[in-house]
Amino acid sequence: MYEWSEEHQLLRAAMKDFVTREIVPLKPELEHGDMPPYDVLRKLYRTFGMDEFARTEFRRSIEAEKSSADEATDTAVDDTDRPRPRPDAGYILIPIIELCRHCPGMVTAMGVSVGLTASAISSRGTIAQKQRWVEDLVTFDKIGAWAITEPGSGSDAFGSMLSTARRDGDEYLLNGSKTFITNGPYADTIVFICKLDEGNDRSERKVLSFVVESGMEGLEQSKSLRKMGMHSSPTGELFLSDVRVGADHLIGETEDPVGGGRSGAKSTFQQERAGVAAMALGIIEQCLELSVAYARERVQFGRRIGDFQLIQQKLAHMELARMNVQNLVFRTIEMAAAGESMTLAEASAMKLYSARTATDVALDAVQVHGGNGYMAEFQVEQLARDAKVLQIYAGTDEIQTVAIAKDLLD
Amino acid sequence: MKVVVCVKQIPDPADPGELDPDSKTLRRDVKLILDESDSYGVEMALQLVDTAGEGEVHLVSMVPNNEVSGLRTALAMGAAGASLISDECLAGSDALGTAKVLAKAIAAQEPDLVLTATESSDGYTGTVPVQIAELLGLPSVTFAKEIEIDGSTAKVKRQTEAGYDDVECPLPAVVSVTAGVVEPRYPSFKGIMAAKNKPVEELTVEALGIDAGEVGWAGSRQDIVEITAAPVREAGEIIEDEGDAHERIVAFLDELKVL
Ligand SMILES: Cc1cc2nc3c(=O)[nH]c(=O)nc-3n(C[C@H](O)[C@H](O)[C@H](O)COP(=O)(O)OP(=O)(O)OC[C@H]3O[C@@H](n4cnc5c(N)ncnc54)[C@H](O)[C@@H]3O)c2cc1C
Ligand SMILES: Cc1cc2nc3c(=O)[nH]c(=O)nc-3n(C[C@H](O)[C@H](O)[C@H](O)COP(=O)(O)OP(=O)(O)OC[C@H]3O[C@@H](n4cnc5c(N)ncnc54)[C@H](O)[C@@H]3O)c2cc1C
Repeated sequence: MYEWSEEHQLLRAAMKDFVTREIVPLKPELEHGDMPPYDVLRKLYRTFGMDEFARTEFRRSIEAEKSSADEATDTAVDDTDRPRPRPDAGYILIPIIELCRHCPGMVTAMGVSVGLTASAISSRGTIAQKQRWVEDLVTFDKIGAWAITEPGSGSDAFGSMLSTARRDGDEYLLNGSKTFITNGPYADTIVFICKLDEGNDRSERKVLSFVVESGMEGLEQSKSLRKMGMHSSPTGELFLSDVRVGADHLIGETEDPVGGGRSGAKSTFQQERAGVAAMALGIIEQCLELSVAYARERVQFGRRIGDFQLIQQKLAHMELARMNVQNLVFRTIEMAAAGESMTLAEASAMKLYSARTATDVALDAVQVHGGNGYMAEFQVEQLARDAKVLQIYAGTDEIQTVAIAKDLLD
Repeated sequence: MKVVVCVKQIPDPADPGELDPDSKTLRRDVKLILDESDSYGVEMALQLVDTAGEGEVHLVSMVPNNEVSGLRTALAMGAAGASLISDECLAGSDALGTAKVLAKAIAAQEPDLVLTATESSDGYTGTVPVQIAELLGLPSVTFAKEIEIDGSTAKVKRQTEAGYDDVECPLPAVVSVTAGVVEPRYPSFKGIMAAKNKPVEELTVEALGIDAGEVGWAGSRQDIVEITAAPVREAGEIIEDEGDAHERIVAFLDELKVL
């Protein structure tokens, strides 16, 4: 694939229109006020039938899973014989790109809920758990959060983790503090990652993931934290003290999931990284468009600033960045269509490059805009603040670099 | 109930391309989009079919180069299929030539109702709808803001300067829909995916039984004498309030005779 298909372009135009009409007017409140993004995101889901689509796909996959669990007989209807239109990965990435041109925070909030949280439960959960929690997450009826980071444990997520689960009869008692949790203040359904405390050494403890729900006794969800960017994505802390849950809340209902408890979290990282390239592309496209328009219009020394070679160089670099990141996004779509998935190292490389490039481009866009670039009215200052976090969350630049090098050397 | 909607595919007004000094028309070799004016007719038609509980919406479009991207938008919104008329001999068609072609393609569909916009966003003559009605021998209602189907009758609220008129006419009829009277839906994920596989019948002038001499430059009775780019809008007058702003605004509007 070297260009968006006709269908993709139709979707892009419709998304652009929706963002312009429904989201841009709310930006002062979303980006400079305290308006949570969920109502608008739900409207997006309803408008494009993304909720119904997700529900149908979810139910179909549950039926397929059930019938394969029942050892389907030869007479069972094979769904693959009846071709039905399926969206390619572009359908997921295009809304991300178009939203990121204006509110990357909304994508963070959306991605963590319908992406990370839902897939953490659906990739390891039992059928009953999926029906209980995943359907409402993928349709955006419920808001999800995925909690691994703690005040003392970030890049070293598993090594320094202090959160615990202790057995108590048939149940578990959960304790710990989580921080920087996207959607934390508003989440209905939270995936809480912790270690099973059997009185053994912390380094030997099993990693377990539980679903906790807002309103449970002992769970406290903080207010939103003040932060540099991504203001349309609420981020908060979670405090659990003796939250009592049954084994039905332990994802997979087993303390020994296939591949170990860390593998679930790791596959979640991988998915997160692919989404970052699309986010970066949205930010880069918008910065480039705004910068080109400004370079054409702004006159200094009797010439438009676009006539100065130092400005031209910045614009040309932005265009290179756009082409490269777009190619990475195309590669993601192609690989998904071929049923292939990236290695963790490749996903890391893509995330590292896209995040760094988006930040560079956004800062250059501020520079091209001069003093106006520093003013909220011209939008690039917001995108620069938003872009920066792409280098921090979902694994820092340094951690991605280490992962790539490790893969080369091992 | 079968509703045919005429949809014109036009150059994107945000990036319209160039005027061709030879043919004195807009160059149409750029990507074309669904004329926004027609999106209201498509929405109205989909709502009428929904209300009726049966039937379908069929699109008719005349365009150079078998262009379909604007049609796909309307198909993704929910129309069932389309007739696309594209033929080299159509270049230079005037409004009447266009109406002749559209009328033939519409008649083949045997519709209960034909919807158009009141005027296109590019040509802007606002004459095609009534010409189609005349050619088909059907009643014509213009400037509809609401349409209700009652058996074999259309009840239309027809927008006027003062408000609206209630008009009734027998079906089939040709009704032109005013822009902005309904909220055109966004194409859904499902709609976009389905649009690709919806039938688009490509027709030539010959297939419609029209003599090539009646259409295009050959048949055109309209002569475009001159074409110039629209003048850049002049800056408006800013009235600063020194206590008498309301009087000055009233005087200004009075001078324009809009009060
Ligand atoms: C807006 C936002 C939203 C977030 N959302 C979530 C969420 O929903 N759920 C969640 O669980 N977490 C979330 N996080 C947390 C995020 O994943 C962590 O902040 C991130 O993993 C980094 O951890 P840390 O902040 O503890 O930094 P640290 O790990 O303390 O890193 C500090 C510095 O040291 C460097 N460093 C650390 N280890 C190494 C090493 N081995 N080699 C070289 N350099 C190293 C880092 O790269 C960094 O530069 C969010 C964070 C932010 C800012
Ligand atoms: C000043 C002028 C400039 C023109 N410039 C060009 C040009 O640049 N390039 C060019 O190729 N032609 C051009 N034409 C020809 C013009 O496109 C045709 O005359 C046109 O198809 C009908 O005129 P209209 O757009 O004014 O229709 P209107 O009467 O304003 O259209 C009303 C409605 O009729 C329906 N309708 C009209 N045309 C079509 C169609 N083709 N397919 C489906 N439904 C339709 C739509 O619902 C439309 O909203 C021009 C004509 C004029 C008078």
